[in-house]
Amino acid sequence: MPSHGKVLIVDDDSSIRRALRNTLHGMGFVVDDAATGEAALQLVREAPYDAVLLDISMPGMGGIRACREMRKSVPRLEILMLTVCDSEDDKVAALDAGADDYITKPFHVRELAARIRAAVRRSTGSQADPEAVIRIGNIELDPARRLVRKAGEPVHVTPKEFELLHYLMAHAGLPVTHVRLLRAVWGPEYGSELDYLRTFVRQLRKKLEEDPASPAYLLTDSHIGYRFAEGKTGPAGEVDR
Amino acid sequence: MEGKAELAAGMVVQPNAGTKANSRTGWREVVRSGSSFLRGCLAGATAVAAVTLVAFRLHLNLSASGSLYFLIVVMVSVVWGFREASVTSLIAVSCLNYFFIPPILAWSIADPQNWVALAAFEVAALSVSRLSTRMQHQAKGEARQRTQAEKLYELSRRILFLDRGQTTGPQIVPLIREIFGAESVALFDATLARADSTGSGADELEQLARNAYLRDTTLVGDDACTWAHVLRLGAKPAGGIALRGPHLGRLTIVPVASLAAIALERARSFEKENRAEAARRTEQLRTAVLDGLAHAFKTPLTAILTASSGLLEGGDLSEGDRELAALIDEQAEHLNSLATELLQMARIDAREVSLHRERVSVLGLIEDILAVHRERLHGRRVEVSESASGLEIDGDRGILATALGQIVDNAARYSTPGSAITITAEENGGEVIVAMHNEGPPIRPSDRERIFERFYRAEEWRQRAPGTGLGLSIVKKAAEAHGGRTWVVSEERAGTTFFFALPSGTRRQPDAVARQGPDR
Repeated sequence: MPSHGKVLIVDDDSSIRRALRNTLHGMGFVVDDAATGEAALQLVREAPYDAVLLDISMPGMGGIRACREMRKSVPRLEILMLTVCDSEDDKVAALDAGADDYITKPFHVRELAARIRAAVRRSTGSQADPEAVIRIGNIELDPARRLVRKAGEPVHVTPKEFELLHYLMAHAGLPVTHVRLLRAVWGPEYGSELDYLRTFVRQLRKKLEEDPASPAYLLTDSHIGYRFAEGKTGPAGEVDR
Repeated sequence: MEGKAELAAGMVVQPNAGTKANSRTGWREVVRSGSSFLRGCLAGATAVAAVTLVAFRLHLNLSASGSLYFLIVVMVSVVWGFREASVTSLIAVSCLNYFFIPPILAWSIADPQNWVALAAFEVAALSVSRLSTRMQHQAKGEARQRTQAEKLYELSRRILFLDRGQTTGPQIVPLIREIFGAESVALFDATLARADSTGSGADELEQLARNAYLRDTTLVGDDACTWAHVLRLGAKPAGGIALRGPHLGRLTIVPVASLAAIALERARSFEKENRAEAARRTEQLRTAVLDGLAHAFKTPLTAILTASSGLLEGGDLSEGDRELAALIDEQAEHLNSLATELLQMARIDAREVSLHRERVSVLGLIEDILAVHRERLHGRRVEVSESASGLEIDGDRGILATALGQIVDNAARYSTPGSAITITAEENGGEVIVAMHNEGPPIRPSDRERIFERFYRAEEWRQRAPGTGLGLSIVKKAAEAHGGRTWVVSEERAGTTFFFALPSGTRRQPDAVARQGPDR
């Protein structure tokens, strides 16, 4: 079976490691595992991985610190945080520490595999040209000409709306925290102006979505931020609640 | 028993410094000072007789002997008082007249100038006596006041050192007795319905303290040695205190009662503080236990679900094995939602102590919830009314999201597949009301109340969809924790609408919001 990518599982619970190792192996991934953040850090420094599944709460250095250290050592490593439901603050902390995505325990393997595949794609794909046109679904964004099209028809967006959309589309499929989004679009002195974001996202949904109340592109990650849907895999929000 | 009845009958209510009791005290003072008066007069007379004998023998003149008599009168006034000095002065005047004013050894006075001298002597003696007595009284009063102030200061100082962890009554009663030298002291604490006393006749005194509290006044015994006074915290009576002993009076009982009330108040506020602290600790402990539990449950569930869904994804199972793996998957999922909802319920229970209140945008809240529950809606269209925009509620965002999420989840489970869900929000009659409408079979009238009970599931719902029976009880609990309510309207044709109403916080003063927070 051809390898779909090399994955490192980091969890202090051996039954979860066992279940994940066998399942992901059966799905064609090459799998390593580690029981602590310290051991995982050692492994990612020694060998290249396409993605790391990192449990957020572990004894020792813990998931968040391990994430920060990994990001420092291997900047382009794809890190997927495994969190427990009801811990929105932990999720935000993990994303702020440099995690690319998170998935809530307990999860379904199909969902997990889709996230890992996306991570592997990002990890093996070439660095995107910042001026390249981004197309997701029937939405098209041209950074060079500052144009947005929906199903081929130009859509009028304000400069701030454009920047917001550009940032989200450039990170399609990944959760972007409120703070990160505010700082990227409005500037480093922002961070708590949730109402701004809500208003702009609402405007964008009205312009881009078929049904703004049930958005297909501009998804809300409750308490965390926003995520632009990945074209092919469909909406990828939170699953387990 | 007889003594008690007698005492109770003999008590006098004292709206002001009592007249009746004072007149009794006055009479007692007359009797007490009667023997002292006679003693003073006798001493004065003896001294005058002695001086007369010596001066007559030595043939002293009028002015010399007059000066000696004057000295005696002043001394009597200093030692005994004004009345004794007056009597002494009259005796002295008689002796002056008889022995020293010509004609000697006769009551008559030849020279009218000597009348003047005699009168001047009497007036001067009386004036000086009066003055010295008054000064003495004043000095005595000042000394008494100083002692009183010192005692009160001592009491207030020692109240500060009372053990706040222990009941105040048993500590303060012996303290007052010791400092004021009372025979017995009793204190009645109305809040604790508890009486403490020390010394003899404690039962009667406790009854007296209780009476002072009930009548909200000052009581004084027939003997003027027993006093009782109400204890007030602010304007409200909170108990009573009674003292028996010599040298007691209104000037003692009133400030002692004030200090005792302060001691009680101090103990109360400490207790309140303690209770809040204990509640906070309990909440912290519960949250810690819950978080631990969440982790403990979710970890094995993750392993089970990973294994079961892994088996299903694998694709090389027989039909029977696939069925079994699907069953494990389904039930693990059910266990997961049960654990999640139990945790949500417990979190609301824990947070009832202190909701993390903030201004929450209703529209933002609804958007968040729909984002979370999007998958469960299975493509059902959701319409959110424009009226929701701009509305804000004052509440705990996490708990509100959990509650409204449960209603959305409920609508997704039991509504007709493919039908739309409508969400409206409006402010009406001091409440912000969120209504979620869905189409589907109605809820039976007999079930409409009961579906909000913990673990209750309507018979026909059981067959229609899996559930834990906790969801709607969480909604009710969340509404009540915020001082709000939830209810359902369900009809055959119109469909089912769940209402979630919270007191509107828009016109509330900031301090009122703060006050409402921790008290809940």
